[in-house]
Amino acid sequence: MKVLKDRTALWSFVGLLLAFAATSFYAPSASAHGEKSQAAFMRMRTIHWFDLHWSKEKVAVNENVEISGKFHVFEGWPESVREPNVAFLNIGIPGPVFIRKESYIGGQLVPRSVRLEIGKTYEFRVVLKARRPGDWHVHTMMNVEGGGPIIGPGKWITIEGGHFADFKNPVTSLTGQTFDLETYQESNIAFWHVFWAVFGVAWILYWVRRPVFLPRYLLAEAGRADELVSATDRKVGIAFAAGTILIVVLSMGAANSKYPITIPLQAGTMRGMVPIEEKKSTVAVKVEDATYRVPGRAMRMKLTITNNGTSAVRLGEFYTASVRFLDSSVFKDTTGYPEDLLAEDGLTLSDNSPLAPGETRTVEVTASDAAWEVYRLSDIIYDPDSRFAGLLFFFDANGNRIISQVDAPLIPSFI
Amino acid sequence: MSALQSAASSRAEAIQVSRIVDYLGLFILFMVLTGSYHIHAMLTMGDWDFWVDWKDRRLWVTVVPIVLITFPAAVQVLLWERLRLPWGATVCVLGLLFGEWINRYFNFWGWTYFPITLCFPSQIVPGAILLDVVLLLSGSYLLTAIVGGMAWGLIFYPGNWPVIAPYHVPVEYNGTLMSVADILGYNYVRTGTPEYIRMVEKGTLRTFGKDVAPVSAFFSAFMSILIYFLWHFVGRWFSTVRFLKAT
Ligand SMILES: [Cu+2]
Repeated sequence: MKVLKDRTALWSFVGLLLAFAATSFYAPSASAHGEKSQAAFMRMRTIHWFDLHWSKEKVAVNENVEISGKFHVFEGWPESVREPNVAFLNIGIPGPVFIRKESYIGGQLVPRSVRLEIGKTYEFRVVLKARRPGDWHVHTMMNVEGGGPIIGPGKWITIEGGHFADFKNPVTSLTGQTFDLETYQESNIAFWHVFWAVFGVAWILYWVRRPVFLPRYLLAEAGRADELVSATDRKVGIAFAAGTILIVVLSMGAANSKYPITIPLQAGTMRGMVPIEEKKSTVAVKVEDATYRVPGRAMRMKLTITNNGTSAVRLGEFYTASVRFLDSSVFKDTTGYPEDLLAEDGLTLSDNSPLAPGETRTVEVTASDAAWEVYRLSDIIYDPDSRFAGLLFFFDANGNRIISQVDAPLIPSFI
Repeated sequence: MSALQSAASSRAEAIQVSRIVDYLGLFILFMVLTGSYHIHAMLTMGDWDFWVDWKDRRLWVTVVPIVLITFPAAVQVLLWERLRLPWGATVCVLGLLFGEWINRYFNFWGWTYFPITLCFPSQIVPGAILLDVVLLLSGSYLLTAIVGGMAWGLIFYPGNWPVIAPYHVPVEYNGTLMSVADILGYNYVRTGTPEYIRMVEKGTLRTFGKDVAPVSAFFSAFMSILIYFLWHFVGRWFSTVRFLKAT
């Protein structure tokens, strides 16, 4: 008896542990804050998000907030990341605190994965509808098959006012019904799951009303197992099986007549995303050398800039991995760009006087800010392919913008 | 055997002890099955069962019955061989559904706030009842594998259709044709699960056109038969009574 008790206790414990482990084993990941842990070269040399605009910083439940802007698929796409032939415009949020109502690339709704072309710039727009009150860090995000998530800048958006319970997500079908997706079919799901659970339990109960383990085991061991199943048992079995088939056939027929028009799930990569027509950059930039000074958290690069355009230009911004280094005497941000990613005076040039058309000049450019460390961009010196990359934004006196790219090796300096 | 008998001094007491052992045994069996079968299910069918926009006519129909016939096949051996009880498959799937509902309700909905309408589990009780009844009536594992396994695979899709059908209603969504299930998957952002991971409506069954679900179901049924055999032997190995006899 003692042995039996111990065993029972042991196995009860094992069972509970297993059940607990299994039910808590998988919870869909709710966090999106992998932005800093991602390899720096991934963030610098894949997708460049710019001209971002957030329609609101505070919304009430059921209200929309829109994130729009452009992304450039970088020419120097790293070899170790698969090309964006299958990519999905995602949004980085901690679980469905917003729902993604719409998302567009080049004006085309993109509920599925798309093919992007390296070297092209696309316009995008994501419409989110507020669902759960709280402060949420919202990132633009591009998932690339074989490359993982490429995370854009994260901005805090507050959902305040209204209640989660009041969230509605109405949709109208082609057959003319309007329904709320938030609670769609809940009672039907509950009905069928309870129904079949009761049906299954009834089947087991029929058998366990009688002694279950010890007497049956002893009889079976004694070679008299056949006495354990009676003719009535068989009839009940037939009834359960027939009932099962009948219920499935009838309920399937009922579902078919209630929903006569159904379509399969829609899948497959979408092609033909339309990029922005870009004119060729009129400012040519050559990187002579570049170093990252570890103690000063500053990157210094020597650039030879040639202005092939028709108006004089000045360098206003250096952008890399969502971090923006500005020269505030040339250009100021007015979009409410996330502060931790914006160095308003982080860019200094040895000579930033207007560069006349046709003129070539070699300058020292320094981009310094704590963001190098905070966003672990300085880790690039530990990457297997220690290159940096980014965009340079030049402006003429009328505010016209010319974009050039840089992509060059980076040498660390430790003193 | 002697240990079991000598534990009780009178017949009435013996019956009482036997009944207590029954209740404890059933509880333990249910919990152990819930835990282990659920882990097995999550590791094998995973997303196909988690999300309604993965429940398609090809892969879901094929994958779920094949990977789920495993535990029922094994537990049927134990319960039928040792105790002549024909509810091995049913107790497995009830345990699995119990575990799944706890997970979906508390983790998916309670913790992460995915609506239940997006992440309810598949229905598998009808197939389990048929599997158990075939074993009861035939008393043969071979017939259970062939007839029961076939029934298990074939009844899966129709058994789920009353719940799934409304998710296949077409919607014109901002100029794109989508099913309700597609929209649910699109609306409720799964940051860690980009759309291209979704394995639905892929495969080489294009030539069957509209009638792809029955073809997938038949394929699944044939595979279920094979897997049943395989796991039958796993069950045989597990249901040895060597340890019980030793005590
Ligand atoms: Cu974040």
